Amino acid sequence: MKTLADELFREFREHSVSEFFRKNAAMLGYTGKVRSLTTVIHEAVTNSLDACEEAGILPDLVVEIRRLDEDPEHLRVAVEDNGPGIPERFIPSVFGKMLAGTKLHRMLQQRGQQGIGISGAVMFAQITSGKPALVRTSTGDGKVVEVEVSINVDRNEGEIHTRRAVEGKWKGTRIELELKEVSYQRSRYSPFHYLRMTSVANPHARITLEEPDGNKTVFERVVKEVPEPPEPMPLYPKGLMADDLLILCRASKSRTVAGTLTAELSRMTRQKVEEVERLSGVRLDKKPQELTWEEAEKIVKAFKQMKFMAPSSSGLRPIGKEHIEKSLKQMYEPEFVVAVTREPKFYRGGIPFVVELGMAYGGKAGKGEEGEGVGGMELLRFANRAPLVFDQGGCVITSALRDIDWGRYSLNPELSPLTVFVNFCSAYVPYTSAGKQSIADEPEIYEELRFAAMDVARELRFYLHRKIRQKEREQRAGIFEKFLPIIAKRASSLAGEEPPDIRPVLKKVTGLESDGGE
Amino acid sequence: MEGSKEGSRKHRALEELRKLGRGVLQELREGKPPRLKVPSRGTSNIVYDGKHKYYVLGPRYEVRSASSMAQVKKFAQTLCVADFCRELVKAGKFATLREMYYTAEGWEPGPFKDQDESDLLVEDLEAMLGVKREDLALMPEEDGAAVFGDLMLREGDVTINATKAGRGGYTIPPTIDEVEFVKCRAKRVIAIETMGMYHRFVQEEAWKKFDALIVGLKGQAARATRRFLKRANEELGLPVYIFADGDPFGYHIGMVIISGSAKLAYINHELAVPEAKYLGVTASDIVNYDLPTDKLRDLDIARLKQLQKDPRYNTEFWQKEIKKMLELGKKAEQQAFAKYGLEYVVKEYLPAKLKEAEGLS
Repeated sequence: MKTLADELFREFREHSVSEFFRKNAAMLGYTGKVRSLTTVIHEAVTNSLDACEEAGILPDLVVEIRRLDEDPEHLRVAVEDNGPGIPERFIPSVFGKMLAGTKLHRMLQQRGQQGIGISGAVMFAQITSGKPALVRTSTGDGKVVEVEVSINVDRNEGEIHTRRAVEGKWKGTRIELELKEVSYQRSRYSPFHYLRMTSVANPHARITLEEPDGNKTVFERVVKEVPEPPEPMPLYPKGLMADDLLILCRASKSRTVAGTLTAELSRMTRQKVEEVERLSGVRLDKKPQELTWEEAEKIVKAFKQMKFMAPSSSGLRPIGKEHIEKSLKQMYEPEFVVAVTREPKFYRGGIPFVVELGMAYGGKAGKGEEGEGVGGMELLRFANRAPLVFDQGGCVITSALRDIDWGRYSLNPELSPLTVFVNFCSAYVPYTSAGKQSIADEPEIYEELRFAAMDVARELRFYLHRKIRQKEREQRAGIFEKFLPIIAKRASSLAGEEPPDIRPVLKKVTGLESDGGE
Repeated sequence: MEGSKEGSRKHRALEELRKLGRGVLQELREGKPPRLKVPSRGTSNIVYDGKHKYYVLGPRYEVRSASSMAQVKKFAQTLCVADFCRELVKAGKFATLREMYYTAEGWEPGPFKDQDESDLLVEDLEAMLGVKREDLALMPEEDGAAVFGDLMLREGDVTINATKAGRGGYTIPPTIDEVEFVKCRAKRVIAIETMGMYHRFVQEEAWKKFDALIVGLKGQAARATRRFLKRANEELGLPVYIFADGDPFGYHIGMVIISGSAKLAYINHELAVPEAKYLGVTASDIVNYDLPTDKLRDLDIARLKQLQKDPRYNTEFWQKEIKKMLELGKKAEQQAFAKYGLEYVVKEYLPAKLKEAEGLS
């Protein structure tokens, strides 16, 4: 006899990861017609930039957005790079499998982290237009492969539909996606704005955008050095959780837990391992795969009581003050630009991060659409050089800047023609959601953002004050140029003598720093 | 006498103006930003000159520098005013302060904000040059007081007899320094606060009775009136007597004639008549003549207490009269003598007071 439970569980089956995300597309940023399009482009561009960076190539990206028919919400998006290309056998998993990739579980500062990005874009195309993605790629071996790939939702696997290989010298990757239910416009959430921001944070990249109306914009390369690829950074003992430790041990190739700890964690010396053993009472000479949850908890507890050298931040790759300044100059033609790359700091006890902040004042800087230089402060947020366009309100960058007393720096967020650029660098960015558009409010991050903003605003204030003084000097000169000739003329009329040459006095007086009289 | 007096005033004004211009030119030629020394007219720089018995300016002055952004415009305006005066003096013409204010609209530095601003510059110039504005061909709007008595005056081509200028008498013009005293048979000047009392004196032919020039002050004496009194005293050698209401304001009308005002300290040497005597009405008169009185208002009491501390009133006579009035708590008008008949003031009161005053001096 069937129980009620049997009845209820008749419909029970394992859901694939892909299926889960298909039903939760919003979590990945596929919400709304404008945002969905920008998210698709974001995923493709991020992959291309990361790939180029790891391969040491100056990125040259082309983004094409074309209308396919009368339906304005039916578009084809193509993103092409000159990167290292993808070996053919990896194509199905790169584009057709969720949570697969080269980045997961490496403490590495990169734009993407989780390995769901580009396959998510493929799936979005699939569920809106029913069409597979077209991928053309070559590793530069003289063979260019072109395949159609789609996601088998049930099995979380990529499926190749057609394959074509041709001879060719070209190297790089091009992905084309056919999308429906998307909308192209030039708002601040648009691909145009997104790519413009990307260009600011990636001054080594050239990005070409072709919009549906045929308009072509090239965001030029400003610096010619490829950023050094980030280095993997071992995890820092403090801030680690039991679960993290278990995952490390499962995957460890070491023979003992002690070996795993020294291999996978930073600042773990022999003495420290002995200290862990003593404090936790856990035997560390057992196989790492045999570590239990309870033991892991004890080790993590021991870590919290111990003292370690400050974690390493050598793997972080900030853009750099000079590059940010160059980039802002190129984009905004401002009167004044200044940036800072702060020293590495740590949050949650041991995750290193670097805050970079730049300000462009005047010129085309400021909020106005496409930077007309009017209407107050424009905030550009980035995490590891990737633009954060959405969810501005919930982001710690926004709240940290909102809490700055701008008046102290002779700035008014409502009126000043000011663009503020903020890049948050870390191997682990604490996003508030899988949409990866805003950074969580960690106290250390909040503080560091404030310090960075105040550093830069102070410089800007010096500039503004210099400018005001200059203006005063000019006004001052104008006043004397008006009145001194009158004085000379009237005095000579009173004395009945020829008027003198007043140029020496005029020169003296207009160059004076302070008033001579009382 | 003709021309020489007036001519020398004119000459002196022009000379001072020329010196002003030369000083500025000199500094400009030396490559220095020119500076003007403007005697400071603030209360802290007004000192009582016990010898002359009037207020004079102290030694402090402000420097108006052409190198100061805040002052260079004012500097230029000051010279514009000076140059405007030079043209007037040279042409032998006069302008009122208001006319100058409007003329300034056309000057290079642009118009003044209000007439106070241009009036202040005129005062600056008077103080800087030590020349009063009448000599700089600037005059106030209002006429001076009325004079009735045996005095022949000449204004340009016209000779006037101050007994034949109608019942209102001869009107002292703002340009009193242009007027020449031709002949005078009067032996004294009696300055009277109110026009009501002035007309009583004229009606009673007091000018004949006392051999006096009767001057109707119309309240606080205008500059032209004070200048007339000064000239009558100095040029004609006439003693000046003051007859005002018996209240703090009457006292002060007298004192301003005698010792000048603080506000015009920089020009008091041209205006004050230290020998002038205050005849009445005094607090003693109120008692002695048993005059009808009014109660002192709070304002009067405060004013009297102010006067008590004023260095100009630092004489036995004044201190006694102020104290007495405060004790009485009463004040009396000039007209109060009408209690004894309209002619009483001319027939009894004034002869007695004059006798007392001249007997003492």
